[in-house]
Order: sequence, then C-alpha cells, then structure tokens
Amino acid sequence: MLSHSALTPVHVVLHKVQKRIAIVFAILGDWAAFIGAVMILGLGTSWYMIDVGTPLTTVRQGPWLGWVSGGRADADPYTRAHFTRLGTLQLSAENVLTYVAYTDSDGHRLHSSCDYSVEGREPGTNWWSITVFNDRGELIANPAQRYDFTAQTIALRPDGSFTVALARDARPGNWLPTGGAGRLALTLTTIDATAPLLTKTGAVPRPLPAIRRIQCR
Amino acid sequence: MTLRDRLGQANWQLILAAPVAAGILHICATLAAPYITADSAYARLAPALPVNKVQVLAEVAPGSEPLPFLSPDSRYALCRFDTSAGPVNVTMTLPPDPGWMLAVMSPQGDNIYASASTPGRITPVTLALVPSEDHFLGVTPEARGIARDTEPPVALAAKHGIVVVRAPDRGLSYRRDTEASLNSLRCSATHF
Repeated sequence: MLSHSALTPVHVVLHKVQKRIAIVFAILGDWAAFIGAVMILGLGTSWYMIDVGTPLTTVRQGPWLGWVSGGRADADPYTRAHFTRLGTLQLSAENVLTYVAYTDSDGHRLHSSCDYSVEGREPGTNWWSITVFNDRGELIANPAQRYDFTAQTIALRPDGSFTVALARDARPGNWLPTGGAGRLALTLTTIDATAPLLTKTGAVPRPLPAIRRIQCR
Repeated sequence: MTLRDRLGQANWQLILAAPVAAGILHICATLAAPYITADSAYARLAPALPVNKVQVLAEVAPGSEPLPFLSPDSRYALCRFDTSAGPVNVTMTLPPDPGWMLAVMSPQGDNIYASASTPGRITPVTLALVPSEDHFLGVTPEARGIARDTEPPVALAAKHGIVVVRAPDRGLSYRRDTEASLNSLRCSATHF
C-alpha cells in the first residue's frame, strides 16, 4: 500500500477514475437488473395470460379449455390478443363456444402414436362437432377423408352417449384417423341460439367428454 | 456484509418502480398484440376476398385450409366489406336448422354483430353497414309515404371487416341445399 506521501497526482486521478467506474457499474447493474425484471415480469405475464389463459378469461374442464369471451365485442384484451395471434375465425362465444384439448384427461400430450377414446354425452346444445387437428391447427390427411363428427353425423348410443376413437388404424364406430400427425389437438364446438353457453359465473353447462389413452406404440 | 447492510444499500426507488414499470409494459404489450401480428384471421382472408361481394369458400380440406383450426364441420360464405364509398347492405335469411350463424367481424376479430339460427323458424337478417352511426341511409319508405313491409335494417358502424355466414355441413345429401342457402347472402354497396 502506498503511504500518503507516496501519492502522486496521477495516483489520485486514477483512484478517482476507479471510484467513478465502480459507481457507474453499480448504477448500470441496478438498471440492468431493473430492466431485466421489468421485461420478464411485464412481457412474461402478458404472454402467459394471452397464450395460456387464466380463470379470468377461460373455462377449463378436464383437458378442455374454452375462452369465454372469444369473438365478443366486449372481449377482454387478453382474449382479443389470443385469437388474433392464433389467427382463427372466431365467432361470438355468446352463440359459438369452441373448447380445445391438447392433452388427454390424465394430462399427457395427445400424440398420433397413441390411440384414444373420447367418451361423452351430447353437450345439450343445438348443434355441436368434434374435430381432430395437428397441433398447428391443420387437418390430418387420410384416405377416408374423415376429420370430424357433428351432431348430425356421429353415431350415438340409445342413451345419448358416444365414443369417438382417435387412432392410426381403422376402428369400428366413430373413428377419426390420426396417422402421422405428431402432436394432436382436439376441438369441441358447441352452438346454441336459445341459451347462453356459459352462465355468468363461467361454469360449463354440461360435462365435456373424457379423453382416455388406450395404448401407445 | 449483513442482510441489513445489503438492504440499506439497495436502490429502493428502482425496486419499487420495477412492478409499476412491469405493469405498464404488461398493459402496453397486451393492448398492442392484436395490432402487431400479421397472422390475424382478417389479415389472412382479406387479400383473397373481393370487396363488397360474396364468396362461398370451398370445402375445407387438408392442405387448403385458409385458417388454422378451421373445421370442415361447416361451410362458409364471406363478404369483405368496405364502407368508405358508402353504406353496404347485407341481407340473409338463416334457415330453420340448427348451427347456422351470421356474424360481422371487425379486422381485430370482434363480432360487432352475431345472429344464430333458431330451429323451427327462419331468421331474417338485414344490416346496413355504415362508416359512422350518423351516416345518411337514404330516405326511409315512411318518409316517402310508403308503408314499410319489411323490418328496418340494423345499422352498424364499421369501416372494414368481414361478414361471415357459417353453415353446418350436414353431409353430401344436403350439400346443394346448403350451398344455395349460402349463395343467398347479399352484400352490396349502396350508391345515392
């Protein structure tokens, strides 16, 4: 260490510069942490609420997720941003409600290497349909040209229940081919002109179909 | 250095400002999201649609889907409207079958008007799309001393958008009937 008498003007200047650099780095460090925290908190929470949704904007039942104010003129900004980014043709959720499932009822990702059984009852609306897509929202080409079942084309049991088989190979009954698609998405669309599809509290009017994994290859 | 020292040295102004700034960024990012995406349904559909004319989309098939998650469970008639040159009149009678729907969609994806069919009775829809709500729609039949025999149109303020008619695809047997009903959609500009 230099004694007081050994301090030259150069040393003093150097010492001052060193102190100022340390202060600048401390300030910059604070600002970097501030900007990082703001970006992560601000953009991260915005992305989550737009992409994934929360109970404020969505209704979830098992693997099914529906955006309760999709397409409505009074939709919240998260719902509006969600459907704009998704690029789907969104009709008002007052009459048309589309639920999407990317997983089975046990939470495993839907995949074309597995066979699934979708079991449920008629949703009790005017009209409904169930369609299988890949996870980019594209139809899955198949020789049977079968992509969906509707209230008018599905084979129901006498008690109003149904089973749809999602499988690569042909199955008896309501079969939707999924071969070679990779990750899958299933949509359930319900239309009702006479009654609101959701109550004001956002409760789903009827149980939605369960998606059971049968086997994987 | 103890925790107390560290807390004492912390820049509390920045720490307290961070959630506020994050909240502002959250709001700005959320509100801006619909306007900065190039992949909205309107942006994808509009370039391929003629203005103020009806186009019935072909059946949705793999490889030719105009939009993601567009199910082949329905057929669609679309009319991209532009009211800058004058009001656009839209008329359609929704058949008495379940699943039919007419919606007026804004470029941001909002349904500024939506009507669904009611089983057992037809649902006539008559709309006047105008650039602003105080736009002159012409002299009414009543003003000309003529008794009106139809419902007055519902006036909707919108400069651009797409009128969407969704028809449930009931299979091959009903296809011609469905297409005829879709083609009955009228969407035309009014010139005074």
